Amino acid sequence: MLDLLQSLADGLLFGAIYSLIGLGFTLVFGVMHKINMAYAAASLAGAYAGLTLIKLAGLPAWAVIPAACAAGALFGVIIYGVCFKLIPLSHPLATLMSTVGMLLLIDEIVVHATDGMPVNYPTFVHGMVGYGDFMLRGDLMFVFFVALVVMAGLIYLLFNTRLGLATRAVSQHPVAARLCGISLDHVNAVTFTLSGGLGGIAGALIGSAVGMLSPLLVAPLTVKGLIVTVIGGLGSIPGAIVAGLLVGAAENLFQFFRGVTERDIYVMLLLFVFLVFRPGGMFGTDPARS
Amino acid sequence: MSHARVCAFSAAIALAAWTMPGSAIAQERQVKITGFGALSGVVRSFGVNSKAALEAAADQINKSGGVTLGDGAKGKIVIDYHDDRCNAEEGISVLRRVASSESLVAVAPTCSNVAEPMFGIMQKKFGDAGDTGLQFPVFTDVAIKIGLAKISEWAFRNVPNETEMYGTLFRWIKETKPDLKTLYGGVEEDFAHSRASWYAVMKEVAGKEGLQVLGESKWLLNDTNFSNQAREAKKASPDIMAIAAHPFTTCGMLKEMARQGVRPKLLIGLTSSSSMETLQGCAGEAETIIIPTSFAPINADAQAAAAAVSKYNGSLDLHSGAAWENVFILKRVIEAEKVMAKPDTLQADREKIRAGLAKLAETDGLLGKTKRTPDREAVKPYLFVHAKSGKWEVLHTPSL
Repeated sequence: MLDLLQSLADGLLFGAIYSLIGLGFTLVFGVMHKINMAYAAASLAGAYAGLTLIKLAGLPAWAVIPAACAAGALFGVIIYGVCFKLIPLSHPLATLMSTVGMLLLIDEIVVHATDGMPVNYPTFVHGMVGYGDFMLRGDLMFVFFVALVVMAGLIYLLFNTRLGLATRAVSQHPVAARLCGISLDHVNAVTFTLSGGLGGIAGALIGSAVGMLSPLLVAPLTVKGLIVTVIGGLGSIPGAIVAGLLVGAAENLFQFFRGVTERDIYVMLLLFVFLVFRPGGMFGTDPARS
Repeated sequence: MSHARVCAFSAAIALAAWTMPGSAIAQERQVKITGFGALSGVVRSFGVNSKAALEAAADQINKSGGVTLGDGAKGKIVIDYHDDRCNAEEGISVLRRVASSESLVAVAPTCSNVAEPMFGIMQKKFGDAGDTGLQFPVFTDVAIKIGLAKISEWAFRNVPNETEMYGTLFRWIKETKPDLKTLYGGVEEDFAHSRASWYAVMKEVAGKEGLQVLGESKWLLNDTNFSNQAREAKKASPDIMAIAAHPFTTCGMLKEMARQGVRPKLLIGLTSSSSMETLQGCAGEAETIIIPTSFAPINADAQAAAAAVSKYNGSLDLHSGAAWENVFILKRVIEAEKVMAKPDTLQADREKIRAGLAKLAETDGLLGKTKRTPDREAVKPYLFVHAKSGKWEVLHTPSL
């Protein structure tokens, strides 16, 4: 029983990583109704760049978070410029394909820069907390805390600032928003900068939690980020947080009961269950079925 | 000089050059060796190092006169390297392309999951007219999963024999640390080499050496969360923990074991993890891990080869060391079999190389003599290294 509880708790905490990635996907979708497939790759690239920056500047380990945030924001703007601004948004598949291309490009640049070798990443929070044999990882609790703070910050930004008002207006009715004098280009660029910065932080925290960075992380984080976004509800910020925790916990439980080789089958089944019975996700609105 | 005289004079010079052995024109004959492996993707470092080793070895041979061909002419080795992205379809496609080129032999591939299906499309038995499989010699440097060369008589490998290495390692452990009785494994379930190394090699030979195998924890190549697996290992409480995984997940598991306070008395790693990747990823957690390997720069030849390869932006390790050795072995075979390296003798030359490789009973390696087995595999000299203060240090040299 203790093993089961421990597995559940470990999964929940690890799910905080998925939540952070899911937040970035959902933020862009919420505003532009487009999926940025390159998000996880850019987040990890931000984490790599942050680490390189602090090594070059001789800064302390904690500085990797703001450095990764800045690098991630820059990558966000670049992705917006290359994959969205220059691509006809009216075509439903154009931005999807351009961001898939960007994902592969970023991934291969990182592979070539590092020769695919894992890079040791600084850990900010050490140790475990718990009682007896039941232990919780301090670094994952920190990630969980950061995810909650980011969620609160985003909700505040969206519902209590002029920028948030403009963002929601663009999200709900871009044409009306433009008629009100809101620059779509500006709002979209700010959204990508924000999500990119958030991605940089997520990448740094993932590197810290895993203990290293490797291009191997890109594929699973992209897949899990998308699953979290769909299960949480496309565009829903609280949904991304809750779905991230749910997917993390479910993944660990499936592994506990059925083994690692069957684990991902059940995670995908969970996704299909949502797509069939609740296509809008936990916190989204159900899209009309034709 | 009239036009007719110029033509006659030129023709005479050309004829003289053509018929004179060792002439400038003959010296330009090329011995094409094609390498391929992963130059992109997460195992790119393997391809980068193999390419550098092939080019450095070819350069050394060419600078010392090249290869003596069947008619006494000198040939220069030309290395061409392709990317198969560690993908079976890509590997097969590259092999087909290479086989239709002027290349005499390939040194490839990086990944066992490429080697296995790739050898499958090659002619199984040499000379079988009913088998239309590719008739092209491949001399593998990296793909290490046991027993692959038996798939085709055109396949040869110069990779370490893991059964031999781990057998000796467990015997050595039994002799030097008799208090260690139990073994637990950690295995990357979705990677061919890791799986084969645990289930068919480590687990088998450890049992034969009298160690009690308590079981194994499993994970996948892309996994990042090892909490369940580390807890399983903690419950098993083994004396020895053997991790059959590549550096990324080896490091992930070692870090999680450190967090959960799983401290076996001895750690053993996968042959391929005795590389800089492991030390870059988790030098602290990997401290004292013991890995059998077929390369370490412990003598003048190995050190010189490592220096030569580093000039080509590569690093010499057990895999790229084999690529280096393969070029020298091929030089010996080409000279012994009187390969001509002419366009009209291409298939005959390939068959000569295949025959020459099949005849070899022993080859020279960087650490000493390598025995060749009838099933076209190698039994290479090996040693045990362990991670110490962020470096690989030689711990024991059983076969040197």
